[in-house]
Amino acid sequence: MAMLLSKQLDPAFKDEVMAEPGGEHLLRCYSCGTCMATCLVRRVNSEFNPRRTLRMVMLGMREQVFSNPTIWLCSACDACYPRCPQDIHISELMGAIKNIAMREGYEPPGPVAQVDELACAGCGMCVMACPYEALTLVTKEVEGQEDRVSQVNKYLCMNCGVCAAVCPLSAVHVEEYSNEDVLVRMQAGGWLTDKDRFPPDQPRVLVFNCNWCTRTESDWAALSQFPPNVRIVTIPCSGRVDPQFILLALTEGVDGVLLIGCDPGQCHYKQGNFVAQGKMHLFKHTLGQMGIDPARVRFAQTGFDQRGRLPALIEQMVEDVKEQVLVGAAAS
Amino acid sequence: MSEKLKLALYWAASCGGCEIAVIEIGEKLLDLIEAADIVFWPAGTDFKYKDVEAMPDGYIDVCLFNGAIRTAENEHIAKLLRKKSKVMVAFGSCAHEGCIPGLANLTDRQGVFTRAYLETPSTDNPACALPQTLCTVPEGELELPAFYDTVKTLAQTVKVDYTVPGCPPVAEQVWKVLQTVISGDLPEPGAIIGADSKTVCDECERIKGEKKVKRFVRPHEVIADPERCFLEQGIICAGPVTRAGCGRPCIHALMPCRGCYGPPDGVDDQGAKLLGVVMSLIDSEADPQEVERLVNEIVDPVGTFYRFSLADSLLQTVKSHGE
Repeated sequence: MAMLLSKQLDPAFKDEVMAEPGGEHLLRCYSCGTCMATCLVRRVNSEFNPRRTLRMVMLGMREQVFSNPTIWLCSACDACYPRCPQDIHISELMGAIKNIAMREGYEPPGPVAQVDELACAGCGMCVMACPYEALTLVTKEVEGQEDRVSQVNKYLCMNCGVCAAVCPLSAVHVEEYSNEDVLVRMQAGGWLTDKDRFPPDQPRVLVFNCNWCTRTESDWAALSQFPPNVRIVTIPCSGRVDPQFILLALTEGVDGVLLIGCDPGQCHYKQGNFVAQGKMHLFKHTLGQMGIDPARVRFAQTGFDQRGRLPALIEQMVEDVKEQVLVGAAAS
Repeated sequence: MSEKLKLALYWAASCGGCEIAVIEIGEKLLDLIEAADIVFWPAGTDFKYKDVEAMPDGYIDVCLFNGAIRTAENEHIAKLLRKKSKVMVAFGSCAHEGCIPGLANLTDRQGVFTRAYLETPSTDNPACALPQTLCTVPEGELELPAFYDTVKTLAQTVKVDYTVPGCPPVAEQVWKVLQTVISGDLPEPGAIIGADSKTVCDECERIKGEKKVKRFVRPHEVIADPERCFLEQGIICAGPVTRAGCGRPCIHALMPCRGCYGPPDGVDDQGAKLLGVVMSLIDSEADPQEVERLVNEIVDPVGTFYRFSLADSLLQTVKSHGE
């Protein structure tokens, strides 16, 4: 542990944060750590620690706070907010800290959405869809021509992929979860196109699993236990799914597709689960209208307090699909 | 002097709008006739099927085929014209992707007949007579072309070299296509001609919204702001997922894009893409019940999202696999 010299501290730092919109309630924090216990970001990055960050602000550790790359990771999912005994809106506090850091020239290190300006049509759908207002339309010169294109604000983007799901021209990419990346994971090992590999009692079920739904080590372990007829593709958010992915799987004869998202109010990216719910609900209507069994597609949600529910949701889907497939096979 | 270009035009299951689209080039028809001989065009000239049958294979240089494949006659002539033509062009949305006739794929032959000949309020058919493929009358046996269960696109029936999208293709693009055909400077086979590569939104002059949608309405239910993006106003517009090139006559007539130019490159299923786009615009404050309510405001999702592309969609493929 490094020694901290009081002359290196900035006693005015806490006042600066408290003067920033969202930072008002800093001093209410008594470092109980409930926020950390709830925090979803810690699942993927244990270095992220709002309790410690707030304490460091109070101590005036300005330099150390700003140079910590994890301060940018709070996605304002507000999972901690209802649990904080002091009623501190921690995401807003983190936002206030980020705002000051931004003005001081610090930059978030994480990946953000990238726009291919040549491909972008400037339709603005990503702008309307982004949960963080991180995208805007700008008119600029692209390859010598004035063009209206989408632009990412790297300070606001959380890389959730809702924009990539919506872009009709595949002009917005999110690292590791581009359309190609998702399709490759669906197809890996010929899973999608190799129709005859599994007998009828092992129906092919494709699961799109929101990264943030897998909350415990036991869930991760359970996911790796599913047999090969169940293909699990993890995505950053249920809102990342393009209904075309699902249709593509169905055209390849996949028996069932399950999309798992977070419970209402628990989306890590504010509203991705509502987008997913809307897409899946409307998609099922569409299948039904076309005379295709809507039960082949399901949207399920799971929450913080439902340990073990994730594998159970998948098992249930596999069982239900198996029943349908066997009934169908007996009928034909 | 080289021989004049031999051009054929045909209509299968279509409304006739594509024929009008050709006529709409106006006095340029004279330039067309200067450069090409029209050897077959049921809507415009008096040639018979037997004239086509008498042609040697590959006799026709370019065939512009509009209309979907609905009946055995459509299929027969499509195959005949394919054999007689060096270059086959799917001309217009019906040949390209099924278009409005393709929406009949929501049901089948029986469903279409029941609706059209028995149920519609204007039908007076006490004998419940339905069209028969074969029918015996005192004069002998009469035959109608068989009516298929499913509407198919031209490319699902014969090999297609080029596609001209649009319901109908706009006159300006029709003339461009004809000029391309006359010049012989055709692109690589498989290309879409008479259209642009990006989407309708790329060219649309409406002010783009940054607002979420709280309510979906149909065009007749509101007086829409003529300056602002339709989608922002909760009116479903297919512009984001529709190939550009039409010049936006619908938008200029204060109607949202219906999607007749089909999907741009990279979109496999125009309807599913549009469905995903529309649902990503809903209000963030929504609760689960609110989301359901918004979804239920969209009546006829297939007709809305797949208005032109159903017969050529992945959705159709899934349905056909299940049968």
